Amino acid sequence: MRRYTRERFLKQFGRLAGLTVLILTTILLMLPIITLVVTSLKLDSEYNRYPIVFFPQVPQWVNYQTVLTLARFAQAAWRTTLLGIPYAIIITTTSALAGYAFARYPIPASGKLFGVVIALLIVPEMVILIPTFIVFAQFKLHNTYWPWVLWALAGSPFYIFLFRQFFLNFPKELEDAAEVDGCGPLRIFLQIFLPNSTPVIATVMFFAFNAVWASYLVPLIFLNDSQQLLGVVLATEFKNPRGITLTTLSMAGTVIYIFPPVIAFFLAQRHILKGVITSGLKG
Amino acid sequence: MLEQVAGGSPKRGVLKRSQRRTLYFFLFISPWLLGFIFLSIAPLTIGFLSSLTNFDGLNLPNLKFVGLDNYVRAFEDPDVSFSAIRTLIWGFVSVPIYLVLSFLLALILNQNIPGRGIFRTIFYLPSVIPVVAAVVAWKSILDKNAGMLNGFLDLFRPGIAIGWLSDYALEGMVVISTWMGLGFGMIIFLAALQNIPEEQVEAARIDGANSFQIVRHIILPLMSPVIFLQLVMGLINSLQTVNLPLILTQPATYTQGLVPPRDIYLYMIHTYIQIFSNRRYGYGNALLWLLFVAVLILTGIVFWTQRYWVYSEQTGEGRQT
Repeated sequence: MRRYTRERFLKQFGRLAGLTVLILTTILLMLPIITLVVTSLKLDSEYNRYPIVFFPQVPQWVNYQTVLTLARFAQAAWRTTLLGIPYAIIITTTSALAGYAFARYPIPASGKLFGVVIALLIVPEMVILIPTFIVFAQFKLHNTYWPWVLWALAGSPFYIFLFRQFFLNFPKELEDAAEVDGCGPLRIFLQIFLPNSTPVIATVMFFAFNAVWASYLVPLIFLNDSQQLLGVVLATEFKNPRGITLTTLSMAGTVIYIFPPVIAFFLAQRHILKGVITSGLKG
Repeated sequence: MLEQVAGGSPKRGVLKRSQRRTLYFFLFISPWLLGFIFLSIAPLTIGFLSSLTNFDGLNLPNLKFVGLDNYVRAFEDPDVSFSAIRTLIWGFVSVPIYLVLSFLLALILNQNIPGRGIFRTIFYLPSVIPVVAAVVAWKSILDKNAGMLNGFLDLFRPGIAIGWLSDYALEGMVVISTWMGLGFGMIIFLAALQNIPEEQVEAARIDGANSFQIVRHIILPLMSPVIFLQLVMGLINSLQTVNLPLILTQPATYTQGLVPPRDIYLYMIHTYIQIFSNRRYGYGNALLWLLFVAVLILTGIVFWTQRYWVYSEQTGEGRQT
């Protein structure tokens, strides 16, 4: 009896200690975001003052208005959105189609074929990216968005894997019934598989759009300043016409930059985390 | 296999059906297959071929084959060995920290704690934040002159100005990368922890094992394949790190690149500068292929150590030390 209560006490204590650690970790993890938002509300003169002013005297919400009307920011955000959406749609389509083939029309060698692709993921990204840039530059395809179109058309092994895992769970009877009714494979895919795959489609769309939205290295290499995407634009602080850096304005821009992926993540977090686990545990 | 479902249909029909299925398979994967050939295999080959030449992006008409000169040169380049060592230090510091912290978080979250789902979501949040935004956010804390951390320390020791992202660039980078990766590792470990059969843990508890012993002798061995996978992926990623040091030094365009602090002058940064600042395409591609070989060797070594610590069904029994 005594042992039992002691155990229970330890369990309760462990739970409390765990909860404390989790709350402290949450604060620690959120700290940079909080300080970013606080700093983005300062005047630049406050930002550069010594000793450091922790909180702005008057929160400069106008920073957000200014950065949204700043051509360099607004145009880059617009370009990135306009590139990200078609990229996400195309790559989701081609990846879904390939995932469908791997799940539903496997040929004897398809497992090996896919194994080769997974094995090639060990190749460092830059070993492929740099020669791709060199070749595309010869064809004058750099400084255009064509590389993204081509990459999207090619799909991605990671997304294909997600679709394959998802499609494997569809009952065979559904397909057979449709086939008896005279549906071709493409129609089965479009009318039976796709409409029932909202979670995986949402997940892949999120990953794909975020891949463009959050990208830094690829646009830095492939694009010049006049078509540059938002990530690269924000990596260099904005300057006013006299060449003085506008740090707090850049930070306001960064807060806006964070919003789309975070909101999308909150909306679909259950599916997204599931997708992360599927690819991370088996990939 | 599936064709047999068709049952009574004649043999020729069966064959046709399987041929049709093969056709569909290739039809559906063709965009991806073409992309794989032209956007992965072809660049890979071209990159290797150009590493054997003196290519600089403009001399295509009078390209010279130089054999392995570029590779020999890499071994004589003092910056290559320096940056390679910095990269190994970066990997051997950042990856274990990432593994240990995310594993501990997962262990805590695996308990029956109120609000578990919310914590899980919050911890993953930094992983969806773009890398540029992460660096800017951390600058608001770690900046030498205007960062909140120095501002805080200044209250106790006025005049303190520590360059967290310049004098301590490696440490600063470890903090940022851990912050960004923690949630991912935690999610993966948590999912694997939840696959551990409850009975096994319960049985050990009845036998009188305490929590530490359970983690050490039951959970860790059962988790070792997942830890192994995370270790391999983490090492591969750390060897090719280029994003963070680049963003921390903010090159406006790659042609007028600024050089990062020596602390974080990683191998890929050296390669990047060779290619984009010095236009040594041939040499740069040689460096990239050396990186690839290094990744293969390191992965091979980690795979070899697998038998000493990774649990598998066959050898699992006598493993408890």
